[in-house]
Amino acid sequence: MADSSLQIQEAKKGDVCVVTLAGRIDSTNAEQLMARLSTLLGAGETRVLVDMKQVIYLTSAAFRALLVAADEAERRAAQFTLCSVLGQVRELFEMGGLLDAFTIHASSDEAIRQLG
Amino acid sequence: MPTDPDPSGRVTISNDRANLSKLQQALERFGQQHGIPVKAVNQLQVVLDELGSNIIKYAWSDGGRHELSVSFGVSDGAITLEIDDDGAAFNPLDAPAPKPLRPGDRPRPGGVGLHMVRQLVDAMAYARIGATNRITITKRVN
Repeated sequence: MADSSLQIQEAKKGDVCVVTLAGRIDSTNAEQLMARLSTLLGAGETRVLVDMKQVIYLTSAAFRALLVAADEAERRAAQFTLCSVLGQVRELFEMGGLLDAFTIHASSDEAIRQLG
Repeated sequence: MPTDPDPSGRVTISNDRANLSKLQQALERFGQQHGIPVKAVNQLQVVLDELGSNIIKYAWSDGGRHELSVSFGVSDGAITLEIDDDGAAFNPLDAPAPKPLRPGDRPRPGGVGLHMVRQLVDAMAYARIGATNRITITKRVN
């Protein structure tokens, strides 16, 4: 695929799997994100934190990926949370009516404290 | 197939979702050329992705290769995007808003994209011109 301009990185902080996203999330790359989150949950991760701090913008395709992951986490009794939903990205969550659809922490430190 | 804007500023892509990145790049270039604030460009990127992906998903049911095109214009402190396709007639202004949630329900994705588009632009118009759908978006950038 052409330059997808979405970077997905994972790191373990204790029991928490931190997925750091950077760039734009749109219909050309949201399926990569959905597949990655599904793989993590399928592999048995029970605490997944998606850090949105470096996301430039996102579209409804990204919301679909996150909602699918949240559903899958619920089925597997895993915790699925977001952090650092800021600025323009936060505005887009608001416009989509999705700010209340997820557990959202202010920062990754706070989220890891709560989850860990 | 042209990937750079032709002299009229129109970019044409075929109906493969991966090609939406060409529209994204064209809008990025257009924004830089005209000194448009990054936030407005990003908001229009969301609009373009929502409308473009909707067209690719729903406009043609024959599985064949088709094209959609977008023109970019700026005047009087506003950007105009004009998106044309020759698929099935569809007026995005008629799309229903997402259903209100019951307490405890997680929202479903359907309808969220167009709901966001309406909030991100100052005006959106639809016309069926012969066999062409034309969506015209206007966004002030001052």
